[in-house]
Amino acid sequence: MAIMYDDVKVGDTIPTYTSVPITRTHLVRYAGASGDFNPLHHDESFIKMIGLDNVIAHGMLIMGIAGEAITTWIDKRNLRKFHARFLSMTEPVDWNDVENTKNRATIIISGKVVKKYKENGEKRIQCDIVAKDILGSRKLSGFFIAALP
Amino acid sequence: MFQGIIMADKSKIGMEFPAYTISVEKNKIAEFAVAVGLKDDKEQIDPIYYDEEAAKKAGYEGIPVPPTFMTSLFFWTGQGLMGIVKALGIDLGKLLHSEEEYEYFGNIYEGDVVTRKMKVVEMYERGKRDRIGRFVDVTVLETEIINQRGELVVRVRSTMMER
Repeated sequence: MAIMYDDVKVGDTIPTYTSVPITRTHLVRYAGASGDFNPLHHDESFIKMIGLDNVIAHGMLIMGIAGEAITTWIDKRNLRKFHARFLSMTEPVDWNDVENTKNRATIIISGKVVKKYKENGEKRIQCDIVAKDILGSRKLSGFFIAALP
Repeated sequence: MFQGIIMADKSKIGMEFPAYTISVEKNKIAEFAVAVGLKDDKEQIDPIYYDEEAAKKAGYEGIPVPPTFMTSLFFWTGQGLMGIVKALGIDLGKLLHSEEEYEYFGNIYEGDVVTRKMKVVEMYERGKRDRIGRFVDVTVLETEIINQRGELVVRVRSTMMER
């Protein structure tokens, strides 16, 4: 059911969203869907050349996952603003060492309501959000603004 | 060959990229929703992203796009990433996307024909000099997404850094 403005309080948390561990296949799928074919996200030989150890997830994939988290809570059409700052790189799970790499590749989105106000004749809320992996490393911080009925 | 060590070329502030127009295709929306949902196929995503009836039942005029879908309008037009890299003289191996912001004024639906108009709005050096005596160069791009009725539907601000 739709979230109502009057039912939301400043300080309320938004439902926590936990992703599956990100695989290289997810990165390739996102590359195709978004059109971002920066080799940083799929080509190990390019990665080695620039001195990194592993391919890394697109920052925009993490923002996309955060968008999923937000729109499982509020309707997409109620979004008015969505801001993300990318904080650290995310490496995908290694299939030959799932136990030791799945936590770095699993993204948890959490957030809370920080403001309620009226603007443009709408009742709006602002929520801070953060994406971390299971190890606690911060991937993204940001906020969104939504208009609620 | 000196791309990596020249300072941000401030003369590029205000530079406008060519405008590109693209159709918002049904399968592209589902593909994008599957990708950001980390799913395997479209049966696993919210049906509003592939089924018009489900979308209408949920109160949309048509099949909507996920909140970050506009990024695909950018990469799938012009020369995509390489167009930006070349125009700004950024070294691809040093490029970092540091911030992204969407301001939504309306919805984008399947079948819309949208135009993206992008320009450089800020260029500056940030922080301390690194070990080769250079600041981190920051470039902010602003993109307006305008639909076939001339309505501004989304404004995008993308911040790029050269590390």
